[in-house]
Amino acid sequence: MSTKHSKAAEAYQQQPDVVERHDNTFFGVRQKRDRMAQMLPEWEDLRNAASQIKKHTVTHLADYLEQFEQQATSNGVHVHWAKDAEEYNRIVYDILSSHGVKKVVKSKSMLTEECHLNENLEAKGIEVVETDLGERILQLMKLAPSHIVMPALHVHREDIGKCFREKGLMDNPTLSGYAAKPADENDPTFLTYVARMHLRQQFMEADAGMTGANFGIAATGDIVVCTNEGNADMSTAIPKLHIVSMGIEKLIPDYASMAVFQRLLARNGTGQETTVYTSHFRGPRPGGEMHIVLVDNGRSDILGNEEHWQTLKCMRCGACMNTCPVYRRSAGYSYTYFIPGPIGVNLGMLRDPKKYSDNVSACTLCCSCDNVCPVKVDLSSQVYRWRQQLDSLGKADPMKKTMSRGMSLLFNHPKLYTGALRLSPIVNWVPGFVIQSGLNPWAYGHQMMRFPKKSFHELWKEEKV
Amino acid sequence: MSSREEILQRLRKNTRETYEQPDLSQLKPITYADPVAEFIKNTTTIAGARLIEMQEGDDLETVISQAYPDAQGSVGVIHGDIGVAENACVWIPQTMEDRSVCFASEQLVVVLSRQAIVNNMHEAYARIAASQTYFKEYKFGTFISGPSKTADIEGALVYGAQAARAVTVVLK
Repeated sequence: MSTKHSKAAEAYQQQPDVVERHDNTFFGVRQKRDRMAQMLPEWEDLRNAASQIKKHTVTHLADYLEQFEQQATSNGVHVHWAKDAEEYNRIVYDILSSHGVKKVVKSKSMLTEECHLNENLEAKGIEVVETDLGERILQLMKLAPSHIVMPALHVHREDIGKCFREKGLMDNPTLSGYAAKPADENDPTFLTYVARMHLRQQFMEADAGMTGANFGIAATGDIVVCTNEGNADMSTAIPKLHIVSMGIEKLIPDYASMAVFQRLLARNGTGQETTVYTSHFRGPRPGGEMHIVLVDNGRSDILGNEEHWQTLKCMRCGACMNTCPVYRRSAGYSYTYFIPGPIGVNLGMLRDPKKYSDNVSACTLCCSCDNVCPVKVDLSSQVYRWRQQLDSLGKADPMKKTMSRGMSLLFNHPKLYTGALRLSPIVNWVPGFVIQSGLNPWAYGHQMMRFPKKSFHELWKEEKV
Repeated sequence: MSSREEILQRLRKNTRETYEQPDLSQLKPITYADPVAEFIKNTTTIAGARLIEMQEGDDLETVISQAYPDAQGSVGVIHGDIGVAENACVWIPQTMEDRSVCFASEQLVVVLSRQAIVNNMHEAYARIAASQTYFKEYKFGTFISGPSKTADIEGALVYGAQAARAVTVVLK
């Protein structure tokens, strides 16, 4: 029995050049992250501090949320609470429809993906325009993100150019005055300018701007949004209505904590010292309105999960994906949960273990993610713990279960073990096609070992070792 | 029961062990022998901005008009309050009614005093937290480090994704 992840990963391997390109791209980001780490002598202290701040905040979250709400309200912000995705979608729609909004410009937010906000609003006749370049490309091409920070890096420039041409973005009259058409229309700089002029029109036409929140600061009521493109700022500097969607775990206590996270986010996410923009939204613009929707959608239940509550520390930097050998060689679409990589495997299981258990196989337990995670989430240990539960979910591989029972019998009975060991070299004479047959799931993708003629015990007794 | 009450109640019920807030004064963040030199280096390298050092007797308007002799597009001029050596960030508190000048301008000029340069983000945030003026009139402030960037198309770095296409920091 293979998992959906392993089957999808196998299909992905059919294009070795694509795999190699994907692997190199994300390992390059991992290496940039390493250079950032080496430049700061206090790197490990920062990771410890970040982990401790998050542990403290999520175990005092109710108090901090109340403090945050009080501050935000006194700053003139409307604060809403949504216990699940359905309520969240309803709240956002109600705000938009009561303001007569027809078009929303939106910066990247994994929370809105989690709650399927865009589909919900589109179904009710509100146009949603993603403004992060990668997200806009995916939206126009009707594709899902393949990574949480660099969502469209798997898409090739030729396909982006083709899509922009088909959607009429290249015929934008404001474009011709801005950038001359180069010989190669698929040049990334030119394509970026095409998107720039297209999005500038969207900002002007939109009636509302939506952002996520990288951080919420309890002491002041600030929402902090970090981008390289400035699209969150464009989305909120032009339309008068600003709606923030924030998962409740994004809260941190104060500015002293914010300094720790500002220094870690970009260094870990993309290997940059900082994002270009780190914007603090504390209240509405003159004559405008600002709303914050605090979303639970399962987070308060995760807090009660003794083995997995530390996933709430995650700040969605994506470093665990970039370092993961399985993610790099199988890419985002091989996973069945919308967040891929080590953190996605865990978050999917917390969302619905029966539905998303196929991703638990996407881990070699190399623990690299644990070693890079800036907030020290024990990602691979958590994957290991999920695997122990597969049987009780009815998701264990029956072949491997039978083999495990056999091994348990063997290892618990020394005489049987010694007898089997003496006979083991016989396996060396079994033809490869039998060993590699479907009857032996562990031989799949692995080279079987050659059993030695004599065991270590025998050699020891003969004083040959 | 409202969703608010339900969420808060569930959080309190599901909190098993609590953890203390760490003492961040124990952190020893990086400092530089010459923070101004570090800021200048990082502004022109990692941030991808241009930097002009004003000399004694220079006039700001003259410096800017010399920097943009044939400014066709919009040149926005804004004032920064804190420069951060470690990452070339400049803290821009909103002081103008319409903040779109900070983002929609094709060319952005950021004016900063060399006395306002600190080593790292810890020092910068400590200054902001202690300030009595930020967020009073306008409830927004942002750190900007160079021009708008993207690498969303095949990882190729392009300046001028959505906001300012080029940034010049003028150190006075």
